[in-house]
Amino acid sequence: MTTGRILSYFAVAVVMVFYLFPLVFLLNTALKSNAEFFSNPLGVVQHLAIGNFGTAWTRGNFGAYMLNSIVYTAVAASLGTLISLLVGFPVSRGYMKHTKIWYGLFVALLFLPNALVTQFQLILHINLYGSQLGYILIMTAGIGVGPLLVSGYVKSIPVELDEAAALDGVGYLRYVFGFLPSLLKPVLSTVFILQAIGVWNDIILATILLPDQSKSPVTLGLFAFQGTYTSQWSLLAAATIIVALPLMVAYIFLQRYLVASVIGGAVKG
Amino acid sequence: MSANFVFGRRSTVRASFFLGLLPVVVFAILPAAAVFVVAMTDIRSLPFLPVHWVWFQNYETFFSAAQIGYNLNALKNTFVFAFAVTIVQNILALLIAVLLNQKLRGTTFYRSVVFFPTILGVTVIGLIWTLMFNPTASPGAAIWHLFGSSSAFFGDPNISLYLVIFVQIWAGIGVAVVIYLAGLQAIPNELYEVANIDGASSWQKLRLVTYPLLAPSVTANVLLCIVGSLQSYQLIYVLTGLNNNATQVLSLAIFAQGFGGAGGSSQSQGYAAAISVVQFIMVSVISLIVMAYLRGRERKL
Repeated sequence: MTTGRILSYFAVAVVMVFYLFPLVFLLNTALKSNAEFFSNPLGVVQHLAIGNFGTAWTRGNFGAYMLNSIVYTAVAASLGTLISLLVGFPVSRGYMKHTKIWYGLFVALLFLPNALVTQFQLILHINLYGSQLGYILIMTAGIGVGPLLVSGYVKSIPVELDEAAALDGVGYLRYVFGFLPSLLKPVLSTVFILQAIGVWNDIILATILLPDQSKSPVTLGLFAFQGTYTSQWSLLAAATIIVALPLMVAYIFLQRYLVASVIGGAVKG
Repeated sequence: MSANFVFGRRSTVRASFFLGLLPVVVFAILPAAAVFVVAMTDIRSLPFLPVHWVWFQNYETFFSAAQIGYNLNALKNTFVFAFAVTIVQNILALLIAVLLNQKLRGTTFYRSVVFFPTILGVTVIGLIWTLMFNPTASPGAAIWHLFGSSSAFFGDPNISLYLVIFVQIWAGIGVAVVIYLAGLQAIPNELYEVANIDGASSWQKLRLVTYPLLAPSVTANVLLCIVGSLQSYQLIYVLTGLNNNATQVLSLAIFAQGFGGAGGSSQSQGYAAAISVVQFIMVSVISLIVMAYLRGRERKL
């Protein structure tokens, strides 16, 4: 092995320590009793306190929060993906007049000003304050780069496919819902994943629009838990792992798509 | 515009297009446009209170003697935060990308690890680093102790902004690394072979081949980073709270003034909207200038 390669491996090791050590420390803390943590915060766990997870799960009510998050994320990201398809495809094909205006609108979606106040006022005035529907509508509308990604990808689908389907008597809607989803699968999953990450990780809009704690998503549930159990680090670490675990599992399966999603999103953006 | 429409009547296309667009217009675009209007009123967070036109009074308040100190401080923190995050994150990301672009064992795994925080979300990231830097029992405290010192970390106004910047870079660098890696892999290998034949050193290859061809990735990353970091506040909110002078940034001020309860429910959200407008103008101007500069540089290279 050359000196250069040894240096490279050393540099990689330093980077890995920065990323893996906090996660290992989190797990180590979650497995200790609070007393053991304070008597020996850095040492490897001596007496496993697995009970932390059960305690955190029940006291933090994470089952209910998790369910809320799953509903918000699944509904908003699905609807957002559907919208990106419905508006991105016809504009890309020139089936709508004024193509340039619509493209301009798609780009403008990326540079909207911070609209917390007006989104709150809108939800307040249509009587959806505190309702899950209102929150889901706001999260759905945050489609961001979706329409641009769809219209970019549609360019790689030959227009002859549209013509052939039409000649066979397939109507527009049947084409969009029956044929396009399989043709556009890579880009639609990208759009879904990008929006799902955004919805799952939101805390600000949930804070503003959902005052009733029973409707909180899991991110907000964890934040409230942190406020209640300040400096009970073992319990907090266990709660953090509970919230992060589904993401870790999803990440292991989806990471290849995720990386592709981010490149697609960034280059378009 | 392809003139042929093959599916018979266009009305179905129009109907489905506008049906799809409707929720986006109502719940994203109209509120965004309304920010400019609401910023000229004294609208409050309670419904059924009378709303008055105050025209430019909210902007006068922004620059008034009572508020200018708070706002200049928020502006200063925003610039320090955005500048440090953009510069450090891009340099480190480029180095890591070059490192992972070599033929090492396990590069896919390393890339996944660095990218992982992207999906974790600010509450989880916030808790991990609050734990790492808790003042009494933590790795952070242990390191400070080695130097015979101690710190309140996120509670210490002298260093909390820098710690927040550190966590933001830790969390966000994965995206930049992935974009740089994609850019690096798009550079044809032949160019390096030619450079080898010409007897170029590693440094010369980096400077004369890699760097110029990576220019589009640099533009994308720097712009993303500037626009993102000028507007980011969620991580700051979970790490150091809503009303913390040391880490107050402009976007957090919008949230604090509109919803923070500093002035109770009688607080004017019109004022928060005015801060939104100020921020929007600032972000637009800065990103246009930076974009023009980076595009110009790309052409020269």
